[in-house]
Amino acid sequence: MHENKWIPTVCYQCKAECAILARVEDGVVREVKGNPRARGKMCVKGMAGITTLYSQERLKKPLLRVGERGEGKFKEIGWDEAMGIMEKKLRELMKRGEGHKFTYSMFPHSTTDPKWRFVNAVGGFISTGLPHCDSAKIMAHLHTFGCFPNHHIAPMYYTVPRGGIMILSGRHPFGCLDDACVPKHILDAKERGAKLIVIDPIFRTEASKADWWIPIKPGGDAALFLGMASHMLKKGIHNKAFCDKWVREGDMEGLAAFLKDKTPEAMSTICEVPAKDIIKLAEMCAKAPSVSIDAFKSIMYGNAMDWGHAWSIFLVITGNLDNPGGQPLPEIAPMAPVKPAPPAPNLKELGYHRTGPNRDKFNHYNFILEPTWYAAQAVKEGNLKVFFASECNPALSEMGSGEWRKAMTMKDKKGDYLLELFVVTEILPSETMKWADLVLPDQTNFERWELLYMPWWYNFGHTAAVCQPVVKPIGESRHANRVMIELGKRMFPEFFAFKDDVEYYDIELSGVGMSMQKMLDGGALWSPGTVGFRKYEDAGKFNTGSGKIELEWRMYADIGQQWPSPELPLEFRRDADTYPFILVNFRTIFLNNTGAWSQNNAQLRDSVSGLDANPLLLNPIDAARLGIANGDTVTVESSTGKVRIPVLFTEKIKPGCAGLIHGFGQTMGKVASRGKWISDNELIADAGSHLDEQDLRGGEAHVSTRVRIVK
Amino acid sequence: MKQLSIMVDLDRCIGCKTCIVACRNHYGLVDHEKSMPGTMSHYLRVESQCTGSYPNLKEDYWVVMCQHCKKPPCIKACEAGAIHKDVQTGIVLIDKNTCVGAKKCIEKCPYEVIQFDAARTYAHKCSLCYDRVIHGQEPVCVEVCLADALSFGEREILLMHADAAGKKVVKKMSTQSILYVKSPG
Ligand code: SF4
Ligand code: SF4
Ligand code: SF4
Repeated sequence: MHENKWIPTVCYQCKAECAILARVEDGVVREVKGNPRARGKMCVKGMAGITTLYSQERLKKPLLRVGERGEGKFKEIGWDEAMGIMEKKLRELMKRGEGHKFTYSMFPHSTTDPKWRFVNAVGGFISTGLPHCDSAKIMAHLHTFGCFPNHHIAPMYYTVPRGGIMILSGRHPFGCLDDACVPKHILDAKERGAKLIVIDPIFRTEASKADWWIPIKPGGDAALFLGMASHMLKKGIHNKAFCDKWVREGDMEGLAAFLKDKTPEAMSTICEVPAKDIIKLAEMCAKAPSVSIDAFKSIMYGNAMDWGHAWSIFLVITGNLDNPGGQPLPEIAPMAPVKPAPPAPNLKELGYHRTGPNRDKFNHYNFILEPTWYAAQAVKEGNLKVFFASECNPALSEMGSGEWRKAMTMKDKKGDYLLELFVVTEILPSETMKWADLVLPDQTNFERWELLYMPWWYNFGHTAAVCQPVVKPIGESRHANRVMIELGKRMFPEFFAFKDDVEYYDIELSGVGMSMQKMLDGGALWSPGTVGFRKYEDAGKFNTGSGKIELEWRMYADIGQQWPSPELPLEFRRDADTYPFILVNFRTIFLNNTGAWSQNNAQLRDSVSGLDANPLLLNPIDAARLGIANGDTVTVESSTGKVRIPVLFTEKIKPGCAGLIHGFGQTMGKVASRGKWISDNELIADAGSHLDEQDLRGGEAHVSTRVRIVK
Repeated sequence: MKQLSIMVDLDRCIGCKTCIVACRNHYGLVDHEKSMPGTMSHYLRVESQCTGSYPNLKEDYWVVMCQHCKKPPCIKACEAGAIHKDVQTGIVLIDKNTCVGAKKCIEKCPYEVIQFDAARTYAHKCSLCYDRVIHGQEPVCVEVCLADALSFGEREILLMHADAAGKKVVKKMSTQSILYVKSPG
């Protein structure tokens, strides 16, 4: 059907969902590239997606576990049997009144992802890695200025004016993940005279293109921005007109009192950025026509809510909300609801994720999804009985992966697993699969239908794109959405009365006067083309309780968190003598985090076209102190884990830090298991049993640790 | 002089390797089913250089493909006469059918860019996308470059563009037909 032409569709080699074109010849995808009608770029992971599609390791049939969990032994079964196993167990769970003990770990592709609908129908919850990636950013923005909580909300770099400032604080946007066009947009902005400031303990490509690289102590971002805010208020160089008009009465006075002792000098001792540099950057920002800030890794530490709060305050006092070059406040496309829709269960009452030692205190902080890394604790406590996972790899992405593995294999007195059923959908062999009872062969973006309309990442205007199958599916693979729709039809026909996924998307599209056919006729894309600026002026208010910007978080007054603390996260403050190094674990463009489909992609693990090594990065100054030679294999030990890996010296890392790429360590699949590289999460403490202060300050994040290094 | 060229802007290349994979896909250099890392041909590679010491560092990234040399050593090395420099475009081309698989060109190429197809015993490399450019298309790497770091055209014109943008030619890298440029400082 699609011979010898470029077909518009969507990439899903990572969660950015870039609009692309695929060239199909003789029923085979030969080439892919960015769709020029939608910013026109596709990154290396996307380009290598063809290798994922055709890899001989593709899972082609449903697999049923035959050995013990963790052994990775399976036999092939038919889809009917697989569907029957899931249906039987879920019906049993619901009959026991324990539908809420079902969790589906996934990254919803839209707010109405059909998988999410199924989970709601059962009465369970979805869990994602999203809470650690940016729940703190989302919650901070929501609390302060009522911004719609889409993912990441990266600045729109194509709107940055000449002289505007782009700050990347622990953020690596050249690794894509927002949209493949972002590197180009940042470089274009620079060429028109914007300034790029990179605040980072590690010098990466972004820093190499920056006008100014500011090395910082990991976790020091809140202190740095509070120091700048303090200086601005003291000098009166903040945006007074904006604050007078939009900030809730009394909050500016409260802020000034709070910031009084957060001087650049005081904050410098925490973040290790010289006070003169804090002042210089504050004054640059005060003068610039716009300032954008983006953070990612830095907002995954145990002080994430404080950093998110300080960041929000800084945006407000510089007036950088919903202006060209500032922080966008995006909207979502008004899709039509597919009725009747199952109601979502009460997460606060029935959810399992407040399992840390400070459970009661932590109740203050609420996110809309369960974080994946409380799963281990929930299994141990009997709050999680049936677990499905799609497009995630908890065996590697779970902090404290050892605890996760333990939980998966824990049994009751009768010898039955505490977690009664674990189902994984996968394209290529994954680490997580080893513990699954049922492995369902999933489809790549080249084989499936999907409607993508979140203002995810970088798709700011109301925007929708259709992912369409461009070739026949490999083996008996089925897209997870279709599997859940079919299971939904069996179990909840009232909520799944539509014909199939395509009809489901059709109904949704009617909300914007579109249909799947019209979309395809129009190049598989739809967007009215405007994002609009300063929408709060038209509305006369922000989406907060008071309609004004709320700098003080009064709802946290009883836990003393109404203003952001500048302190480093607890995991970096304690045990500094025993564990002198801070682990800086970062991501690269060549890996979709722990995603099995990039780990097992030959082009992405090739040293010419990808990345095939993950040694521990150390500054030579530190290495000399430790008496280590370049290439030596060392023991890296945290309070909860220990690994052995080779060392690579580099001037590109702040002394006192040890660098490691996030996402390695898989043992499943011929490509992924090459080399003795390890997963950073082996070193990081399990959330359920180790979070304490982080529960209050970090939202739900804590993806790093201190380590010691011995020869 | 008639010479087509690619200009690599060191201010913009981020070493993302998108061009490498796109080129491989286009020319079918990868057996997607069976290839393992370390075994795949490639017409480009990324190089980088970091200078200075913490915290005063500078780093550049760039790509190296066939430099379509002015006096190509590969042509001289090939006794079978399988390589020639096209008069109209200045592109250096290997004729697969004439190539006897002697690998002499590979030994002599100073840029180490010639690949060898062991199964079909011929040498192959970047052709500056000859079959595309003669029909008015850009080379694949130029079209897909993630950072718009590459531009294509007649060498003299690219030099004029670099000059107009205030970029300087990195002389020691641009001794053949491919141009490497960056802003001063
Ligand atoms: S950023 Fe992600 S979605 Fe976009 S092209 Fe790259 S892998 Fe594909
Ligand atoms: S770079 Fe190598 S292959 Fe290309 S023309 Fe020069 S010698 Fe020949
Ligand atoms: S795609 Fe462009 S930016 Fe990326 S490595 Fe190639 S030339 Fe450099």
